[in-house]
Amino acid sequence: MATIELAHPASHIHPAPEGFVRKYIFSLDHKVIAVQYFITSGLFFVLAGLLAELIRVQLMQPNNTVLDPATFNEAFSVHGSAMVWLVVIPILTGGFGNLIMPLQIGARDVAFPWLNMLSFWLFPPAGILLFGSFLLGAPQAGWTEYPPISVLASPGTSMWCAAIFLIGVSSTITGLNFLVTIIKMRAPGMTWTRMPLFVWASAVTAFLNFIATANLSISLAVLFIQRTFHVPFYDETRGGSPVLWQHMFWFYSHPAVYIMILPAFGIVSEIIPTMVRRPIFGYKAIAYSSVAIALVSFMVWAHHMFTSGLAQWIQLPFMIMTMIVAIPTGVKVFSWVASLWGGRIRFTSPLLFVLGFLSTFTFGGITGVMLASVPADVHEHGTYFIVAHLHYVLFGGSMFGVFAGLYYWWPKMTGRMLDERLGKIHFWLMFVAFNCTFLPMHWLGLLGMPRRVATYDPIYWHTNLFVSISAFVLGASMLLFAYNAIHSARYGKRAGPNPWGARTLEWMIPSPPPYYNFKELPVVLSGPYDYGKPLPYRDVDPDMIEAAAMPAY
Amino acid sequence: MASHALTLDDRAYAEQRDIRLLGFLFFLISDSIFFGSLIFAYLYLRNAAPVWPPPGIERPDVYLAAVNSIVLFGSGVTMHVAMEGMRRDRRGQFVGFIVATIVLGTLFVSGQIYEYWHILPVTKWAATTFGASFYTLTGMHGFHVSVGVIFLITVLIQTLRGTYTKDRHFGLTAATLYWHFVDIIWVALFFLFYVY
Repeated sequence: MATIELAHPASHIHPAPEGFVRKYIFSLDHKVIAVQYFITSGLFFVLAGLLAELIRVQLMQPNNTVLDPATFNEAFSVHGSAMVWLVVIPILTGGFGNLIMPLQIGARDVAFPWLNMLSFWLFPPAGILLFGSFLLGAPQAGWTEYPPISVLASPGTSMWCAAIFLIGVSSTITGLNFLVTIIKMRAPGMTWTRMPLFVWASAVTAFLNFIATANLSISLAVLFIQRTFHVPFYDETRGGSPVLWQHMFWFYSHPAVYIMILPAFGIVSEIIPTMVRRPIFGYKAIAYSSVAIALVSFMVWAHHMFTSGLAQWIQLPFMIMTMIVAIPTGVKVFSWVASLWGGRIRFTSPLLFVLGFLSTFTFGGITGVMLASVPADVHEHGTYFIVAHLHYVLFGGSMFGVFAGLYYWWPKMTGRMLDERLGKIHFWLMFVAFNCTFLPMHWLGLLGMPRRVATYDPIYWHTNLFVSISAFVLGASMLLFAYNAIHSARYGKRAGPNPWGARTLEWMIPSPPPYYNFKELPVVLSGPYDYGKPLPYRDVDPDMIEAAAMPAY
Repeated sequence: MASHALTLDDRAYAEQRDIRLLGFLFFLISDSIFFGSLIFAYLYLRNAAPVWPPPGIERPDVYLAAVNSIVLFGSGVTMHVAMEGMRRDRRGQFVGFIVATIVLGTLFVSGQIYEYWHILPVTKWAATTFGASFYTLTGMHGFHVSVGVIFLITVLIQTLRGTYTKDRHFGLTAATLYWHFVDIIWVALFFLFYVY
């Protein structure tokens, strides 16, 4: 083998993978791994969504008997765990992170392709373990699995521990891999402040992933050890402490909240400038506020524990720190609104989802500040207000971001456009049904309806019935997307390299990209959002640059 | 991999090495979070307990642990000398001292297992928070040392096969970093369980 002249670590073009297994199953290509993530978490999204519908069927009547109380507990516990760990985190980091981040920094792959493959293949077994736990009696203490219930509950809880441990290891590896990729493998000339905002979001998420998730893994290991060897870590009667679990769990899970939302912020920051044809307002403000959010996120975990008997002098700083999170988040929201202001807005389906994201996420953020205040939280803790809040940020925030990203990057991933008309119908149906489902939950919560119960006082009946019906419509709206996706594979319009006329690097190469991404590594001359100026790249395929300058849309 | 690495020119090799080194440092950071969380749990339980160690529990004997610590720190020194040998291309020094490191690491793990089963009342201890955190933390550490021994054996075999040269030995660098990392964790654990 002759010596290969290398100017840059990523400039080495590997030979094309051969054979079905190397190409599609145990692939090292970040784009294939991304699609694997999308498909797998899409499947889990359907399963966890069906569990949600089952929960809503039970809650249609005050004293319904569709599910017995234990099964109801299992249903919402697995629904929550699956949505958090098998859907939102993998789809944002594993899916979009893998698909877009290496392309946007002009790299040929991630730093450790083999580790990337490993972290994907830890993921399906985790999902099988989690859903398989129904066979042994699934966990019953919600996605947070507080002791003592999680210590005493059926053997399925141990399977839950193993499942989430695998996911934890998987996201730690992905985080490490992505952060090294972003630090070391950016194209020549791409300085930190020339990186697209999605890359900024990915970098911060990756940091959170490998710092915080290690802590989750160890908490789960300890819970597993306690359940298996009956040692007294979380056992109050033998000197342990259930509150210790809450500390360890939330020390991970609060940063995890930002793991679940920061990539969505990144997606929004990419779509807005493309669709309004003007530079994003406050590039540095958006970029650095992600870093600020990440740092503050490690100092707010105890706001989940205001009713767990913490001393008052601990509660106050946590309340203040939590409210401070609203500042960098507000910086982002105002920057996005300012970017829309005075732009030539094209109301495409990705942009509609972004606008949906902005309204619902901001709403969820505001209830978040309400919950941060200790006196309000003591009243709202453990009620449907919490359920409403978390669905506004996780569904209204993250999932709207996911769909915005899917509509936006679908052409890059598959080479074909999704149907715009169907996309818009999907958006409006989903947006209205979403708000009809979760908005009334705020009122239910403020009236005092507790979460995680299978039966309730008949005074809450009509609202619950309305919520359930809306939830069915919300579920049905997903069918539109499924139809659209399948339809586009055959009848979708050919996208060409750059259907939206965007300026980031992933649009400078064909759709779908060849396995080596870039024939020549591009040289980056300035930031990616200067609409109206010539493209800031050298050494990209000149035909592609021309296509980018003239949006086909 | 070896043949591939040899075909890279120096600059490309240096870039590959830097990427791997950064990845490995990130791994060590997340691993220290692993131990950090467990140490937090230990301190939390200790702080919550009215008396420490809990009634009926005696602190483990410091002498065996002290001897064991000397063995482990000694292995850190031999590891360092071995790496110096590699840097100066003295193969004999490298192989000799890395074998010494492997022997000392194995001794440490054996000492710990001996302490677990023959010195300490396992069942009595496992019923208390002191014992639970002791076994979990030192067990996790012992697991890390065992992995480290396997790591060292692997790089030794690779060296004998000629994978590493004076200038290109990232695998050895990683093994050294890992070994010193495990040493440092032990300092904290020794202090927490046997002294403090």
